[in-house]
This record gives sequence, C-alpha cells and structure tokens, in this order.
Amino acid sequence: MNEMMKTMESAASGMRAQGARMRLSSENIANVDTPGYRRKTVTFEETFNSTRDARAVKTGSVNLDLSELPRVYEPSNPMAGADGYYLGSNVDLMIEIADAREANRSYEANLKMFDQARQMASSLLNLLRR
Amino acid sequence: MELNLNVLRLASGLAAHATARQTVISQNIANADTPGYHARDITDFASAVDGAGMAFSARVTRPGHIPFGPGATGHDIRETSALGTETPNGNTVALEDQVMRAAQVKQSHDMALGVYQKSMDILRMSLGRR
Repeated sequence: MNEMMKTMESAASGMRAQGARMRLSSENIANVDTPGYRRKTVTFEETFNSTRDARAVKTGSVNLDLSELPRVYEPSNPMAGADGYYLGSNVDLMIEIADAREANRSYEANLKMFDQARQMASSLLNLLRR
Repeated sequence: MELNLNVLRLASGLAAHATARQTVISQNIANADTPGYHARDITDFASAVDGAGMAFSARVTRPGHIPFGPGATGHDIRETSALGTETPNGNTVALEDQVMRAAQVKQSHDMALGVYQKSMDILRMSLGRR
C-alpha cells in the first residue's frame, strides 16, 4: 500500500506543478495589454523526498522574461513619452496558449496515473472483502 | 498436508512488480516537462523471476537487517529512452509511451489479482465452502 501512496504522491506533485504553470500562463494572458509587463516563467525541478522515499516534481523560482519590451506608438496614451511611444508587454498570446495547452495535457496524464493507482489499490483491497 | 502455494507466491510477486513499475511510471509522468529528466523503467517480471536468488544482494546475518541492492526486491530501476524522444531541453519522457506502459501495468496487476482470487476460490472449494 505504501508504494501506491508514493505513486499518488508523485502524480499529485505533477498536478500541482502543472497547475502552477497554468496559473502563470493565465496571469500572463490577463496582462497581455498591461504596459511594461514582463511575462513570468517557472522552471520544473525533480525532487527527492528522502523521508518517504518518493521522487516527485516541484516548481522552481518564478522568473521574469527579460527580453526587450516592444515599443508601441500611441501619442494619445497617458503612458506615452515625448516621442509618442510607450513600452508594451512582452507576452506572446500564441506562446502562452500553447504552453497552457501543454500544461493541460500533462495535468490530464498525471490525473490518469492517480486514478489508475487508486483503482489498483481498491481492487487489491477487494481481495480482503470476501 | 502440503500446500503448493507457488501460484499464490507468483501472483503476489507479479502484483508487487506491477505496483513498483506503476510508481516509476508515475514519477516519469510527473516529470514529463522537467528539463534534463531521463525516463526510467524497471526490469521486467520475467527477469525478476529468473534472476531470483542469483542477483547480487547484501548478506544478511540477522533477521532484522534490511535488504538492499537489486536483489532485494527482485528488480532494479534503469533508464530507458527510446530513440528520438529527447526534447531540446534534454527530457526523454514521451507521454504516449508512458501511458502505454501504464496500461500494461494495469493489465498485469489485474491478471495477478485475478489469478490470486481464483486460486483462493479453488482452495475454498476444496475445503467445502463456497
């Protein structure tokens, strides 16, 4: 049974990590028109929980994408400088949506693993029931 | 009366093997997007049965000693990476491949429990119970 709990723990950590990634993606999409916004990215790292002997995944630190902000020409914007340009956000909707889609796919794979471990555990317990 | 319970031992061995493999696969799926992670799997059940007792294992002089090494559980973990699955960030987990392996695991676990249950049924029947 302990092995099953380890399985579920790994799958749950995967879901947690993909959920965090999805959250950052939606934050980026929400701020696509915010002037001066830099898109946030997160890294994934493998962890080893030695007390429970379980390998899992965790999210690392959140980083800002330091690529150059695009200059948008709009003299009527309050943020615009003397030359009529202001700095937009460096969020690319196409990238964010692709990233969110990938996170969704990985989340579902983890969920399937979790469900399978649960089914295996319950069919094992069914043996005791007779 | 001597009971030949090899079938039961084999079935529970297969179930334990399936559970251990499920844990490794779920770790792979949790780390499906971790840069530099290499997919792993455990040696198959047939080699665990053949190699039982032959494989290296630590010498145990007291019953309280905890066994370790590949021979302790009858299988060891090794990296498996199919050709061409490596992504630019060094990850070799292919979700489709892992889901396929998980389906195999579920099948062998079901088979092990089925065999166990049927053997117990036969034993019960020979005892005159239903």
